[in-house]
Amino acid sequence: MIRQILPSLLAGAGVTLQVFFITLILSLPLACLLQALQQFSGRALKPLFRGYITLMRGTPLLLQLMFIFFGMPYLGLTLSRELSIFIAFTLNYTAYFIEILRGALSAVDPGQAEAGKMLGFSRRYIYFRIQLPQALRTAMPSIGNEVLNLVKDTSLIYVLGASELLKAGRSAVNTYATALPFVVVGILYLAMCGGFSWLLGRIEKRISYY
Amino acid sequence: MKIGKLGMGLIGLALVAMTGCQSAAKPQGDSWSAIEDRGKLVVGIDDTFAPMGFRDENNELAGYDIEMAKAVSEKLGIAFEFQTIDWSMKESELNAGNIDLIWNGYSITDTRKQQVAFSEPYLENRQLIITLADSEVNAKADLAGKTIAVQKESSALEAVSADAAFTSALKNGAPEEFDTNIDCFMDLEAGRSQAIVVDEVLARYVMKQRGQEKYKVLDENFGTEQYAVGMRKQDTTLLEKINEAMKACNEDGTTAALNAKWFGE
Repeated sequence: MIRQILPSLLAGAGVTLQVFFITLILSLPLACLLQALQQFSGRALKPLFRGYITLMRGTPLLLQLMFIFFGMPYLGLTLSRELSIFIAFTLNYTAYFIEILRGALSAVDPGQAEAGKMLGFSRRYIYFRIQLPQALRTAMPSIGNEVLNLVKDTSLIYVLGASELLKAGRSAVNTYATALPFVVVGILYLAMCGGFSWLLGRIEKRISYY
Repeated sequence: MKIGKLGMGLIGLALVAMTGCQSAAKPQGDSWSAIEDRGKLVVGIDDTFAPMGFRDENNELAGYDIEMAKAVSEKLGIAFEFQTIDWSMKESELNAGNIDLIWNGYSITDTRKQQVAFSEPYLENRQLIITLADSEVNAKADLAGKTIAVQKESSALEAVSADAAFTSALKNGAPEEFDTNIDCFMDLEAGRSQAIVVDEVLARYVMKQRGQEKYKVLDENFGTEQYAVGMRKQDTTLLEKINEAMKACNEDGTTAALNAKWFGE
């Protein structure tokens, strides 16, 4: 039985991991950039940022997925399944990461930025070389939370017909008329999250060098 | 200044991303010529619906509808591409032009007739009422005050809801709805619902897998319905072509062979 269901479940896990990695690789750097933009832009762009973050955090990710894939064609923009998934996840997770970074940045002593300014460093240098590295260290536990959430949030892409792990599990449950695939699905999720939290722990240790 | 550059870069990136996507492909009018140009038809299927469409042990699509569609594809001389969809989104997928056909145990109902065009029916299906073997429920009337489970967005739900006197007598005045039919079976076995209403085609398959002796099929049912292929209303050429190809399958014995293979009829 396990041998029969495993290939489709592993293929599903592959889709899950693909969405996970692409979202993470896009959203974390994007959040660092947008946070810089927010900090430097002064008052002009602030309402735009607040609006974006409120929208992303205030509506369900499932709805955002459906809106981008099923709703945008009515506004004249038809996106492929994959692109819709990556855009929705990246926009959503970037918003959360920006908020995490904002909190962590405010924990960095403002005296450092002042000192940097006095030494003639550019604002960009101060942000990327002095503030951001420290903020990222402070933010690591919160980022880790989001990373593990992301693994499990990927299960939402079933709504666009993508055969991720949970969907593959449901499919196997229907085909073989037993609940065993759910157990295997749970173990696979646990293995993925376990691996990532181990990795996150290593990274945290590695960057706490003083 | 530097921030300005950063901002410009981001806007540029966004623009590149936008132009990289095709603009509005929402189909209007008969899309047959567009389909011929493309050289393929996109078939929307739900791979959680054994025995009509599911994944075999090699993660390949299998099932009655898949094989039927492949036979029709050969007759039409046009390639079919199978796209898995979420069943509750099937009409949205069709109207957005993401798929050209809905082909997965898709029953003809009055509500659906208003939204999509149906091919000639290719399979008969009844909505069975199933209970556990030792249940004291033997007729619809026995289900007053009890809980029943059905698949959401399904024709079973539509059939049950149409019987207002029956549903209002149920425990919460409505049936419990689940994502898939197998969820309904599990709910029945867990004892949370006392009966389920499901497609006969699927029910026979599931009962065979889980053991016939555990269940009881009531003599009463929620009517007979027919499976057909759904497509956009404006696709009249496609409708003709599909009907012709299915007729050819009936005449050369392909359909009979499929029925024998999957349902032993």
